[in-house]
Amino acid sequence: MSKNNCQWRNWLLGASLALASAATFAQSVAVVSFVEHPALDAMRDGVAEALAEAGYDQNNKDFSWQFQSAQGNNAVAAQIARKFVGDKPDVIVAIATPAAQAVVAATRRIPVVYGAVTDPVGAQLVPSLQASDTNVTGVSDALPIDDQIALIQQLLPQAKRIGVVYNPGEANSVAVLEQLRDKLPEAGMSLVEASAPRTLDVGAAARSLIGRVDAIYTSTDNNVVSAYEALVKEGNEADIPLIAADVDSVKRGAVAALGQKYHEMGKQAGRMAVRILKGESPGDMPSEGGTELELYLNENAAREQGVTLPQALLDQAAVVLR
Amino acid sequence: MSAYAFWGAIEVGLVFSLVALAVYLSFRVLRFPDLTVDGSFPLGAAVCATLISMGWDPFAATAMAFLAGALAGALTGWLNVGLRIMDLLAGILVMIALYSINLRIMGRPNVPLIMEPTVFNAFQSEGLDDMLLRPAILLVVVIAAKLLLDAFLRSQMGLAMRATGANPRMARAQGVPTGGVVVIGLALSNALCALGGALFAQSQGGADISMGIGTIVIGLAAVIVGESLFHSRRLVWMTLAVIIGAVLYRFFVALALNADMIGLEAQDLNLITAVLVTIALVVPMLRRRRRS
Amino acid sequence: MLTLKDLRVVFNAGTPIQNVALDGLALHVPAGQFVTVIGSNGAGKSTLLNAISGEVTLDEGSIQIDGMEMAGLSAWRRAGHVARVFQDPLAGTCEDLSIEENLALADARGQRRGLGRAVRRERREEYREQLRLLDLGLEDRLEDPIGLLSGGQRQSVSLLMAALRPSRILLLDEHTAALDPRTADYVLALTRKLVKDKGLTTLMVTHSMRQALEIGDRLVMLHRGKVALDVAEPANKGLGVPDLLEMFQRVRAEAISDDALLLD
Repeated sequence: MSKNNCQWRNWLLGASLALASAATFAQSVAVVSFVEHPALDAMRDGVAEALAEAGYDQNNKDFSWQFQSAQGNNAVAAQIARKFVGDKPDVIVAIATPAAQAVVAATRRIPVVYGAVTDPVGAQLVPSLQASDTNVTGVSDALPIDDQIALIQQLLPQAKRIGVVYNPGEANSVAVLEQLRDKLPEAGMSLVEASAPRTLDVGAAARSLIGRVDAIYTSTDNNVVSAYEALVKEGNEADIPLIAADVDSVKRGAVAALGQKYHEMGKQAGRMAVRILKGESPGDMPSEGGTELELYLNENAAREQGVTLPQALLDQAAVVLR
Repeated sequence: MSAYAFWGAIEVGLVFSLVALAVYLSFRVLRFPDLTVDGSFPLGAAVCATLISMGWDPFAATAMAFLAGALAGALTGWLNVGLRIMDLLAGILVMIALYSINLRIMGRPNVPLIMEPTVFNAFQSEGLDDMLLRPAILLVVVIAAKLLLDAFLRSQMGLAMRATGANPRMARAQGVPTGGVVVIGLALSNALCALGGALFAQSQGGADISMGIGTIVIGLAAVIVGESLFHSRRLVWMTLAVIIGAVLYRFFVALALNADMIGLEAQDLNLITAVLVTIALVVPMLRRRRRS
Repeated sequence: MLTLKDLRVVFNAGTPIQNVALDGLALHVPAGQFVTVIGSNGAGKSTLLNAISGEVTLDEGSIQIDGMEMAGLSAWRRAGHVARVFQDPLAGTCEDLSIEENLALADARGQRRGLGRAVRRERREEYREQLRLLDLGLEDRLEDPIGLLSGGQRQSVSLLMAALRPSRILLLDEHTAALDPRTADYVLALTRKLVKDKGLTTLMVTHSMRQALEIGDRLVMLHRGKVALDVAEPANKGLGVPDLLEMFQRVRAEAISDDALLLD
């Protein structure tokens, strides 16, 4: 029976080798993103940039790169994960929690670098943020909540009730919400939640907060980011200051954001991939967090939402939009 | 296509073949357009993952997922039969409600199973690679489901169910309690779907609240592709056909993923899959036309 | 036996299109009697059968079969006592199911359905025997989908299905009306044979006065939801169609004089 098994498997492996690509490369990196979206795309581009800086780009004949998007579909993510495992890359970079989970579930051997995962331990990608001793490491985009709360206090010293619009179906957003729930009272503020399970619920969620909050804070929630204009409309009309966690939203109408630079985090992940390509083991590399935050301010939005921007913040800001 | 991608397509295809069997039972046998499956697939995943993360044995957790799906289906049936809500609407209502219910069950949008025991890692590989183990286990489950379903549809209750879908007035004239039969049929259908969800979560690394979206489309695509391949409408062949349809659909996705060789990019995935499925539908039809 | 008391069925009550289909109809049919039911359009013939089978709910009245009250029971619950052949041959059989599967469905009428095989070997022989009576060669085509059969063949199988299990009442709802004359005669002959052999209490609705006179033990004529004429052994009395028409006119005239204030 086992002999038949061996023969069968040998035939299969032979057949699949025959089917595989004619050219073989010395090293390769496979990148998967769960969904395409400005922040995640910026991260992917950052990864590519870091690899290029180390000499791993299309000019390098001994290197190949592939990118796949799961289009927001878990089943497709599962098949991409398996495809990657079959392609035997040297590193897999997985962007966003569902994609990272699919990849880590598919392989315990191929090195995996995750990105844009807020809670990698909760997602069971790594046992802790220390060096994991497994095949997984990566860059978490968890925002230091204390800095966010400090921003709110600096901007609006009088604010007591903080509203949050979020998608209860997004792991990252729920993680942020729970942190806020814990930390806001310590800063003398209270939390008011408004859930938006679909992008078209964002406007209604914002409206439900009118009169009940002194400011609205949002994280890098996918629904909120997709429908930020709806939030801006409500904030402007009801004079509720909007504070975001990603800098793009400031361009679209938030007063302020102290955000991760997804492109920079992408480069961090890319540099981790380079170290792995050069021989380091992912199990020896602790998870990293985004190191650079940048402050964006929008004076126009401040006017519309009835906020005076303190000089101290204006001085700190990386970019002040008029 | 690598061996991994090949067996990966089979693995995901077998999971969705349970969905295809479920959709065949509701749409074709009962003639009930049941959209509950978009909710019962993640329900199965939610129940199973949550129980496993609470320490339950994965087999017991999977069984509970099956039962949860049955409850969801029975609810849809009751809305339609008892409260006289239109079939399509009843399914949509339960599907929408399940979104919140699933979130409640999981407690958060994502319950990982990467470091938890599953029905798959209960069988330590004995000479079988992980690549082959999961499809092998799934094949056993799917074949068992198919044979049991075939036997059920041949039974008195199953015949009553087929009559209820085909000619409810006649069925009632023959003493079939059509209302009760619809409820049982939907319960069975959604139980199968939830079973698929539970197995998917265990093979996939976890349950995610968004994993249900589009399940009905995948199920219908599998049924339609399967039906276009087989001429005979006999039950035994049809249940096999929808299984093959589900696996074939995942093959098309796998092929589309490899299309970067011909210059197509990641965002073209859906288009490529649609084209391949269309070809799969049209070719058998053309062949039949040429024959006649 | 069948006892109908004060049956009243009103469609669209309280609206301009209100229709009193059955208006206090009463009838008693002893066991084994073959009753033909005639009447003009709108007389209430189909409603009568629908009320007995349970497809239409009574507004008032009682339907008792062998002493058991049927009113209030849904159609499927009564099916064990009431066998039915519809006018439309396509309505009485399931075209996707095979001949033997249709017969198996009828075989389980009135019984609890379980997980055992629907078509059992022992019963298959019985189905073959029954189908042989038809002399249509169907006994060799048990596994063919019934949709392949002609209307007349399907109606014949429907009759067999109705007679397969002993039931208390057999309802025939113009079951030859949709067939060509030759097939209609065939099915009618089959009907008489089955009813006689099994001693079935039968109500046969027919549009054909000739049929009503030639067949059966009793002729009942409905008019405006009530029994207008009730003739025992019409064949023996040598009544012909003209006689019947005369009686019919008399009834209608009487009815008109009763409701003189109502517009016809």
